[in-house]
Amino acid sequence: MPSSRFPIPQGTLDMLILQILSLQPAHGYGIAQRLEQISRSVVQVNEGSLYPALHRLQQKGWLRAEWKQSETGREAKFYSLTPAGRRQLAVEKDSWARLSRAVNLIFEEGSR
Amino acid sequence: MIRLFNWFRRGSLERGLDRELQYHFDRRVADLTAAGIPEPEARRRVAAELGLAHVREEIRDVWLTRWFRDFLYDLRFSARSFLRSPGFTAATLLSLALGIGATTAIYSLVDQVILHALPIHDPARLVLVDWHGDQIGGGFGSWNLMSYPFCRDLQKQTRFFEGVLCRAEIDVNLAAGGDPKPVAAEIVSGSYFSVLGIGPALGRIIEEPDDAAPGAGPVIVLSNDFWQAEFGGAADIIGRKLLINQHPMTIVGVAAAPFHGVDVGAVPALWIPASMYAEAIPGAEDLLHRPTFWMQVLARLRPDLTPAQAQAGLQPWFKAWLQDNMLRPGFPIISADRRRDYLASTLEVTSAPQGHSPLRRSLSQPLWLLFAATGVLLGLACLNVAGLFLARGSARGREIGTRLALGASRGRIGRQLLADSLLLAVAGGVLGAAVAPLAIRGLIAFLPHELAANALRGTLSLRLLAFAFFASVAAGLLSGVAPALHAGGDSLVSSLRERAGTGFGGVRLRKCIVTLQVAFSLILVIAAVLFVRTLAGLEAKGPGFETSDILSFAIAPVQSGYSRADAARLVRRLHEEVHALPITRNSGAARWTFLTGGSWNNAMTIQTDHRIVTDNVNLNAVSPGFFSTLGIRILAGRDFDARDSRPAGEAGHRSAIVNEAFVKRYLTGRDPVGVHIGLGSGPDVKPDITIVGICTSFNYRGLRDDSAQAFFPIFEGEDAGATFYIKVRGAPEQAIPSIRRLVRQADPRLPTLWFRTLNNQVKRSLTTERLLAALSGSFGALALLLSLIGLYGVMSFVVTRRTREIGIRLALGATGASAILLVLREAVIMIAVGTAIALPCVAALGKFVQSQLFGVTATDPATIAAAALVLAAGALVAAFIPAWRASKVNPTDALRLE
Repeated sequence: MPSSRFPIPQGTLDMLILQILSLQPAHGYGIAQRLEQISRSVVQVNEGSLYPALHRLQQKGWLRAEWKQSETGREAKFYSLTPAGRRQLAVEKDSWARLSRAVNLIFEEGSR
Repeated sequence: MIRLFNWFRRGSLERGLDRELQYHFDRRVADLTAAGIPEPEARRRVAAELGLAHVREEIRDVWLTRWFRDFLYDLRFSARSFLRSPGFTAATLLSLALGIGATTAIYSLVDQVILHALPIHDPARLVLVDWHGDQIGGGFGSWNLMSYPFCRDLQKQTRFFEGVLCRAEIDVNLAAGGDPKPVAAEIVSGSYFSVLGIGPALGRIIEEPDDAAPGAGPVIVLSNDFWQAEFGGAADIIGRKLLINQHPMTIVGVAAAPFHGVDVGAVPALWIPASMYAEAIPGAEDLLHRPTFWMQVLARLRPDLTPAQAQAGLQPWFKAWLQDNMLRPGFPIISADRRRDYLASTLEVTSAPQGHSPLRRSLSQPLWLLFAATGVLLGLACLNVAGLFLARGSARGREIGTRLALGASRGRIGRQLLADSLLLAVAGGVLGAAVAPLAIRGLIAFLPHELAANALRGTLSLRLLAFAFFASVAAGLLSGVAPALHAGGDSLVSSLRERAGTGFGGVRLRKCIVTLQVAFSLILVIAAVLFVRTLAGLEAKGPGFETSDILSFAIAPVQSGYSRADAARLVRRLHEEVHALPITRNSGAARWTFLTGGSWNNAMTIQTDHRIVTDNVNLNAVSPGFFSTLGIRILAGRDFDARDSRPAGEAGHRSAIVNEAFVKRYLTGRDPVGVHIGLGSGPDVKPDITIVGICTSFNYRGLRDDSAQAFFPIFEGEDAGATFYIKVRGAPEQAIPSIRRLVRQADPRLPTLWFRTLNNQVKRSLTTERLLAALSGSFGALALLLSLIGLYGVMSFVVTRRTREIGIRLALGATGASAILLVLREAVIMIAVGTAIALPCVAALGKFVQSQLFGVTATDPATIAAAALVLAAGALVAAFIPAWRASKVNPTDALRLE
């Protein structure tokens, strides 16, 4: 399925997940829906890579998971940020900002 | 670590993942159907979106890295396949467990006796200081003997040493309220504990002031074990007085737990300061000032020095010391020659982190030999397992071929096979480690009892477990590598094309393995025959005197406070009373015990028409009747009798009996009876002792001993104690109560040191030989068994492979006998090549075992021929069974196999 949206850069999926969970805990499907909203406008996220990413982040200790009742009344696995995850998000945001600033600088220099 | 944990809860992880994905799936499908897409279509689309199988696999990789997961699956697969073939598993497991268990057990002794550093502060800096050259002067003890004044002087050499200690092992009589009993002790300088860095567990240790002047420190420090065993670890032990050789001494402390003295073979119950030598060693002359050699000197090097530097640096000081020492009171008058030798002496400083130990000296060579033998045995077991694996590999050829065809990489399959052998080896190792303590205790039981009880432990240490683990992994790799490589190297097409049951070649590799096994086991069998012949030879030869029905016991009255004259009187009285017992047929007494490895020895001066000085002659003093009791013949002259006895207290020898070896060496061609000899070698020695008799040669120190000996009458002058030899009517053990009663009557406080039958004594003196013979014998038998199994296996395999060929031959008119020959020829080639490999090895290894042998050389042709014959006969039988089966092949069946 050809798409005009560009694919999500390597490694940014983790950051997006952390960002989404920093607002409120969510289950996998909720995160997928939120990503879908983002991706509809800007980037394309492969849903198949969402769950491995969640488990990887959980193993690293940045997320914790618990089974809770979801809005449909069924039990779902809700992920939330741990303090370590919150720190990691700050680090990633910071390095992202620096990277994009640097890239911008280079571009501006080239166009001048 | 968390990941490994994940492996064990992977069931619940999987269930959680299923629920999670199911939730996502259902919600998505619901959303899509709500948007108007029909449900089947929605389901299909969601499944494609998610790629469930792929997601699952990726998440499993998160839980546990891929290679590790594969490895664990491999292990599980291996375990399952092993459980499916219990016969194969039991055979391999048993081979490996035997090999690893035996190696671990021997290593335990090697570690304890040879390698283990003392449990002291920084043992690497401990050195032994020894004299190299002619020491001049008397002494007593085992090895590396030095004098106490030397130790004192060496302590001033602080440029090289942080501290210097001296010590000697002694036996004392200890009375703590009840009956006195002999215990092992260490008599030590005041610096002993501080140099070793050992503190007290209770109270204090022996310190410098305790050793300041003769008699300054009537104190003792108990070893932790003795404190526990004898006093139940009582905390109020400090300040208690004990009687040591009837002298009261105060317990001032208990040494810290793991320390058992500096000699692994002689574990002391207590330590006494050297200042108390007069009480601890009754009858000793002034040991603190005279140049008597009786102690070992150990020192702690300064941190920046090597033993070689200290040795070089000490020589100038030592040269000056040698000069000064000649002025010491008690230094003997010597000839110019000996004086030159004496002054040329040097000091040797050698690293001694394991302390000083005569036991290590005598046991280290046999132990290394046995360790090497177990190594070979383990190698054999590995080869056997490798052979079995190859055989199994051929049975599994189809399975492996199919897996290869389905796309498994050869590396992956090789890894699976390696996992097989590792799992098996580690399981074998666990089994081996489980039986090792039993084996170690069995080994220790071969050694003299005192040692077994005190010095050596039959428990598994962490070091030992680590050793067993490494041995197992090495064994696993060794036995798995050949099959794994093999699995990687065969052509896929040919293995799939081959018929079930015959597939996967590997015959050549298996033949190589069996040939090596034959070589290894021949080496072990030859070693076994050599050691068994050594033991049998020594036992058949005997000590040169009668041993049956003879009981011996010993007393040491000076250790119970007797003067030497009183002790001599007691020995005389007991000798007469024992002689008069109804159960006694004949009896005699000797000053020194025979067959203990030690002796009283000195040089002698022989005065005929010229004067000769002998080398050291083994000496003893014996009573009238001693020779006849032991059945030792008097060849010329007479036995001692009443004429040779003199009142107790009057010292000096008058008459002597020498043995045949003495005559042969020093008095050939003349009538020895009536020749005058003297004790000692100096120009001042008066040859005033007359040889009155010649006896046949017999062994003094041990069964290999063939020395010149001279005997003096025991009943002249003073004595410290004696060993009594009694030829009894009936069983020797029955005489013990009446003898014990006699000793009690003479002095209730006097302990009997031991009761032993002479048969037992001979047995004890052959400890090492018996250990070597028994172990090498069982190793040889095991090795033989292993290689015969290997040979049988490979020959059966060959026959199965060639069934068709043999069938055709038979159908064409070949006889059964020719079929047998056809198969046997292959076996004979393997045996011949194996033997050809083994023989040069035996020739090369021979010099390492020669010193342990007796009456047979390491390359004795008869021994080698016998061993080769046994091996060949066994091997032919093992090969004959499959060959015979081949000859019974029914041609029609064989052809139908197609």
